[in-house]
Amino acid sequence: MTTSEITRDTFAVFGTTAVLLVTTPRAITPARAVADRVLAEVDLACSRFRPDSELARLNAAGGESVAISAVFADLLAAALRAAKLTGGDVDPTCAHALASLGYDRDFADVRKAGAQSPRLTGPVGPVGPVPGWGRVRLDRAGRRVRLEHGAQLDLGATAKAWAADKCANQIADRVGCGILVSLGGDVAVGGEAPPDGWRVRVTDDHAAPSWAAGQTVTISSGGLATSSTTVRTWTVGGRPVHHIIDPSTGEPARSCWRTVSVAAGTCTDANTASTAAIVRGAAALDWLHDIGLPARLVRHDGTVETTAGWPRDDPDDAA
Amino acid sequence: MPQHHIRAAAHDRDVGMAKITALSWRAGAAGVVIAGLLTFAFGHHVAASSGPAVPRNDQGSILIPAQPPAPAAGSGQVTSGAS
Repeated sequence: MTTSEITRDTFAVFGTTAVLLVTTPRAITPARAVADRVLAEVDLACSRFRPDSELARLNAAGGESVAISAVFADLLAAALRAAKLTGGDVDPTCAHALASLGYDRDFADVRKAGAQSPRLTGPVGPVGPVPGWGRVRLDRAGRRVRLEHGAQLDLGATAKAWAADKCANQIADRVGCGILVSLGGDVAVGGEAPPDGWRVRVTDDHAAPSWAAGQTVTISSGGLATSSTTVRTWTVGGRPVHHIIDPSTGEPARSCWRTVSVAAGTCTDANTASTAAIVRGAAALDWLHDIGLPARLVRHDGTVETTAGWPRDDPDDAA
Repeated sequence: MPQHHIRAAAHDRDVGMAKITALSWRAGAAGVVIAGLLTFAFGHHVAASSGPAVPRNDQGSILIPAQPPAPAAGSGQVTSGAS
């Protein structure tokens, strides 16, 4: 395979941009078909803004036990695993906290509403700690779930990355090509990578051009994800807020990092760690180092720290 | 068969068994020593290949990538940032 054979498909999904790269030109059509099917299943399972989604029905169930699909069970299990592995720093029971900040509809509409919405312009008091992932009773084998003590789910922290992993794995297995899947900057790869790996530009905003301030690295397996407090932002009562909730306060995390990128064995794990690092702040450096996760952490002033083998920035290619 | 022939045969058998037993112990001991020497000589290769470069398969910890990202020049094929 040569670099010139790598073929791309770009399309909109989940309110963001999806990119498929395949190592064989003829693989792009079947790869897209697999991705469309996976993404439709995930959207129907866990969209917070579709009234017909399983997530919406579960949040409206008033604590009753609800039957769920295998896809939703897998998505929820991934979210609970992320919560467990981060000591609750990435918690799926933050839906109420996000809604209290006005993020209760598609993000494009949140931004459009802006100062015109009374709900977004009035003073907003702290909602307090989120109920916590221990309030989620998942019977994965029996495919039932129950939310205790008014807990409301938002799987946004893990679902997109999980979908990227699922797409990459299924495309590699069924189409038999090397594949990179990027869903709004959550990157998963599968199959045989190009000889020099997949080139990924890490930066604040996934929609930035491929030469935007940041760093270019290559990966050949697993996943890479970036979390940032600088992109999904809006204002509430004149106060700038973002979407990464600190579960201990129910408020947007006040982090010393503006952007964290992590490489891991899966995109889900990379996203779990990058989100947790934003929430943990300065303590994230030792945590990432101790568990051996390669990461690039950018402070608000643009200075960069790296861990566990992540390459240092090229001085001529600054953040 | 005369009794002294029987005793001589039994004696020869016992001597033979003793030699085989001693030889087996020596061969076993030599194997242990050689295995130890091989481990000492090449063990660091095993340790190096079983470190963080291999993803952990258990789901009880965050999965480490097979290899850390490598530096690259120029632009990316895709961009990883927040959305």
